[in-house]
Amino acid sequence: MKTELKKTTTKPSTIRISAGERVFHALNYIFFALVSWTTLFPFLNLLAKSLSSEEAVLSGRVSLFPVDIQFGTYLYVLSDAKFMNAFMVSVTITAAGTAIGLIMTAIAAYPLSKPRLRGRKFFILMYVFTMLFSGGLIPAYLLMHRLELIDTLWVLFLPSMISVFNMLIIKNYFESLPDELEESAKMDGATNLTILLRITVPLSLPVFATIALFYAVGFWNDYFASMIYINSPELKPLQLYLKELLIHSNITYQDGGHVPNIDAVMNTTPQAIQAASILVATLPILLVYPFLQKYFVKGVLIGSVKG
Amino acid sequence: MRRNQIWLSIVAVIAVLSLIGCNGSKSGAGADGGEGDGKQLRQLMPFERFEPNGDAVAQYLKEKTDYTVKYEMLPAENADEKLNLLMANKEPYDVLKLAPAQYYQLVSSGALEPLDDLIEQYGANMKQVIGSESWEGARYEGKTYAIPETGGGSGTASYALVVRQDWLDEMNMKAPTNLDEFVTVLRAFKEKKKVIPLTGGKVPVHPDIASVFGLTTAWMERDGKIIHSVEAPEMREYLAFMSTLYKEGLIDSEWGINTADKSIEKVASGKAAMYSPGWWVAPNLVNALAKNFPDAKLGIVPVLKDKAGVARVGSAGNTINYFIAVPKFAKHKEEAVKWLDMKFDKDIFKGIAIGEEGAHHKFEDGVYTPIMPKFADERSNASSFLTGVDEKNYPIYWQARLKKNPVVESYFATFQKNAEGLLVIDPMSAAPPIPDISKNLQRLNKYQEDTFINFISGTEPLDNYDQFLTEWRAQGGEEMVKAANEWYAKR
Amino acid sequence: MDTKEMDNAPRSPTRHYWRKLWSDVRKDWDLYIALIPGVAFLLLFKYTPMYGVVIAFQDFNIFSGIADSPWVGLEHFARLFQSPKFAQVFWNTLIISVLKIVLLFPLPILLAILMNELTKMWFKRPVQTIIYMPHFLSWVIVSGLFIDLLSINGGLVNRIIEWFGGEPIKFFLDNSVFRWLLVGTAGWKEAGWGTIVYLAALSSIDPQLYEAAKMDGANKFRQIWHITLPGLVPVILLMFILRLGHMLEAGTEQILVMYNPVVYNVSDVIGTYVYRTGLGEQNYSFSAAVGLFESVVGFILIMSGNYISRRTLNRGIW
Repeated sequence: MKTELKKTTTKPSTIRISAGERVFHALNYIFFALVSWTTLFPFLNLLAKSLSSEEAVLSGRVSLFPVDIQFGTYLYVLSDAKFMNAFMVSVTITAAGTAIGLIMTAIAAYPLSKPRLRGRKFFILMYVFTMLFSGGLIPAYLLMHRLELIDTLWVLFLPSMISVFNMLIIKNYFESLPDELEESAKMDGATNLTILLRITVPLSLPVFATIALFYAVGFWNDYFASMIYINSPELKPLQLYLKELLIHSNITYQDGGHVPNIDAVMNTTPQAIQAASILVATLPILLVYPFLQKYFVKGVLIGSVKG
Repeated sequence: MRRNQIWLSIVAVIAVLSLIGCNGSKSGAGADGGEGDGKQLRQLMPFERFEPNGDAVAQYLKEKTDYTVKYEMLPAENADEKLNLLMANKEPYDVLKLAPAQYYQLVSSGALEPLDDLIEQYGANMKQVIGSESWEGARYEGKTYAIPETGGGSGTASYALVVRQDWLDEMNMKAPTNLDEFVTVLRAFKEKKKVIPLTGGKVPVHPDIASVFGLTTAWMERDGKIIHSVEAPEMREYLAFMSTLYKEGLIDSEWGINTADKSIEKVASGKAAMYSPGWWVAPNLVNALAKNFPDAKLGIVPVLKDKAGVARVGSAGNTINYFIAVPKFAKHKEEAVKWLDMKFDKDIFKGIAIGEEGAHHKFEDGVYTPIMPKFADERSNASSFLTGVDEKNYPIYWQARLKKNPVVESYFATFQKNAEGLLVIDPMSAAPPIPDISKNLQRLNKYQEDTFINFISGTEPLDNYDQFLTEWRAQGGEEMVKAANEWYAKR
Repeated sequence: MDTKEMDNAPRSPTRHYWRKLWSDVRKDWDLYIALIPGVAFLLLFKYTPMYGVVIAFQDFNIFSGIADSPWVGLEHFARLFQSPKFAQVFWNTLIISVLKIVLLFPLPILLAILMNELTKMWFKRPVQTIIYMPHFLSWVIVSGLFIDLLSINGGLVNRIIEWFGGEPIKFFLDNSVFRWLLVGTAGWKEAGWGTIVYLAALSSIDPQLYEAAKMDGANKFRQIWHITLPGLVPVILLMFILRLGHMLEAGTEQILVMYNPVVYNVSDVIGTYVYRTGLGEQNYSFSAAVGLFESVVGFILIMSGNYISRRTLNRGIW
């Protein structure tokens, strides 16, 4: 092992910080404060819109603060039975998809991270090939039909339970773990399975947290699969619900063309309700990340390399 | 600790999976529903934002017709793609409510059942209330594959210019009556009020201005022949006029990127003076403006006249909005047509459209007025349940819907009053789906729109118009015009 | 390969190969078992429907199906390559893609490294979350936001420009600005999200290395250069090679929402062009042909990227 463990932990603060570094730190904080402001702004804007009266929103007067504050929009959104149902569907798919996806992906990545695996290049190429080439929607639809998955929740996560991109990231991370750990475990007679469960998995929590997030966000945000494969209204996930809400109100505002369906025109979703729905649909998934952040701690490797 | 977590997650996964299993099987049973019993049907309809199976109209229909119908909707986005997949997969729907382009796609692929015999046998009501012109519009290669559904507001004026009347008054000006006065007013707005004189978006052939040049509808009749409006020499004059307005800053410089929402916002926030809304968006515009400027007043500009003093208003005419078809692989074709015909029964149809007298609407002095809130609660989505209309009575019933909102009612009424006697109907409004038109129209419209926006904004010189026209013809325009004339001559 | 081993197997080299293979497999049998679920997944959900690529060579009719649709050879490819706009559209695609790679690929790496230097947790944690939030906004919303912000009728940016005495810029309608607008908005939307994968990699760097470097008197910038960056190289390589595969997908969804006819000259890419010319047509075969063309180019780029990286840096995806 290259780096000997030095007794630095006792007095790390004694190292002097140069003036240059201090300026760098200050600028760094200012920079991130500014960037955060620009990325937070649209959400504050949506929040303000969702709490304002429809007239105020339509006339473009709402930016950061609500005008004619009201909470009826949230009451409306949350009391819509379709919304709550869609919400539950999304939670189910996301939870199941993420759990299964993460497990399947880690299992797939593990052998491919071992250079001694025979046919490794072939198998990796087999995965990468599917990132680029696909047979398109029609054969996929026929396949789902044959598997009797159409109009079931399964179809929303089974066909996407291993993302090649995620698999490659995990594989890459596995490869970066020191070989010494595996070798010493082998000496003690450990099987590959034991090594995976006892050594690799505990050391890979940061990448698992990342991939869990990717899967969760992917399943949460997916609407295409449900749009194509789901017919029953009770199986529609939240993003589809949201899409219908937003697109529909665009359609009815179209300039030109024929006289639109008058019922639809007079039922358009107010922009304040649109804003509230977007926020309510996005908030749960935004909350996942802070929860996973604790796994991004530095130096998961320290203790284990020593031992 | 860690092991506990792993166990916990495994239990969670199993719990979730069993939950899904239940859901999946439940829906499977629901979807297939009506085996054997012919009184059960399955209908596919375009997307609207409500749950059709729980709607009051569905309930009403079930009681009156004794058929149990399971309604399913296409998605809001990529509807055509989904429809194709469903049809390719032979989903056993009994009734399809199709938009015109979808109908053409399916009928030309041979996915629909010819209905002539079934209508002859079971369609006594529908034959009576649907006009022969509409039936003609649903024919394809000599056979009837669908029941045509025309709209309630067809053949009426949809657009008119509105103007900030309070600003006009302030400047001591009157609403313009012709193009010269129109330009004078726009200039005054720009110079004295420092606002965008005319806003709007995306649609480059502005209906209220183009009609002054004689460009009323997409298709026009000249000397007994059909031409498309891009071929009319007036189109060049119109574009030249618009591009001078643009250059002078008299129309919104963001014309190319404005959405209707944006245009409304600009008027409502006092940034723009004139706009041409459809009557159906009037409430949003009026309410938002009133909120910002309680003293502001919107005026509806009467139809502008050309140099000869003639005014015209284009109208798409009594077009077929939907086609009600039965797919070839439907399980209950006869029952489907029987059910559809029952919906044309005088009383049942009226019940679908405006509910029951005394409960949902009042009838006084020949006018139907909705009774709120019951009408809104139980007939808000009635249009979606229509599968063809009683062409004589529906336009009358339809007007009751306008009364749900007083602003809509008054704008609609004013638009129609201003346009009285000036309506020019599109000569192709009664045409059935013609392959050479259907396959080219959407693409060419987009091409026309894009190029015209560039002409108006000066990105492309108007001298290139001939080039555009050649390209337009080559890309299918010529085929389209030829096919239109063939139909028109035989009509 | 190894001559000594070859000598030990006098009967036949193939026989020996199989025996060696068998003994390797037996030694790591559980490793090979672990391959099965993934490969089964690929075969079922990815490779079974793969026959669909043939519709690129057919005049596919969805109701006749693949079996009964007529074959047309390379007609759809010819239509793409021979269309008068192809050169311009292809060029736009390349320019926008290359701009995005050059300017936006390093951005998340930079952000992750800088974020790694934030030591105050009460600041770092919320910032990490906030900065990735735009990823969750649809392009429609993002585009609407920037249209407001950059409007020449009272948009914030143009008000500032005018305040400094400049000429207002029609960002969305100006051929010389629009590509930068595309790149800029894409960066704003996705850069924060892109940091996550690098942050995970950063946490696998041994903190003892930093301590050692500090003892040797290395300043922050040297530490970043000599420890942080090398620690990130494997992920950067992986991400870069995979990114190459999307070279011909310059952001169709974004551009469709943001562009307008005035800026077609500089922003019309393969995806948007195919969308517009296919309106109302439902031409599955043509879309499939275009998709196949994009995939082949992407595959070649990934293969070459991996090859070059193997050759020069001695590591790659495989």
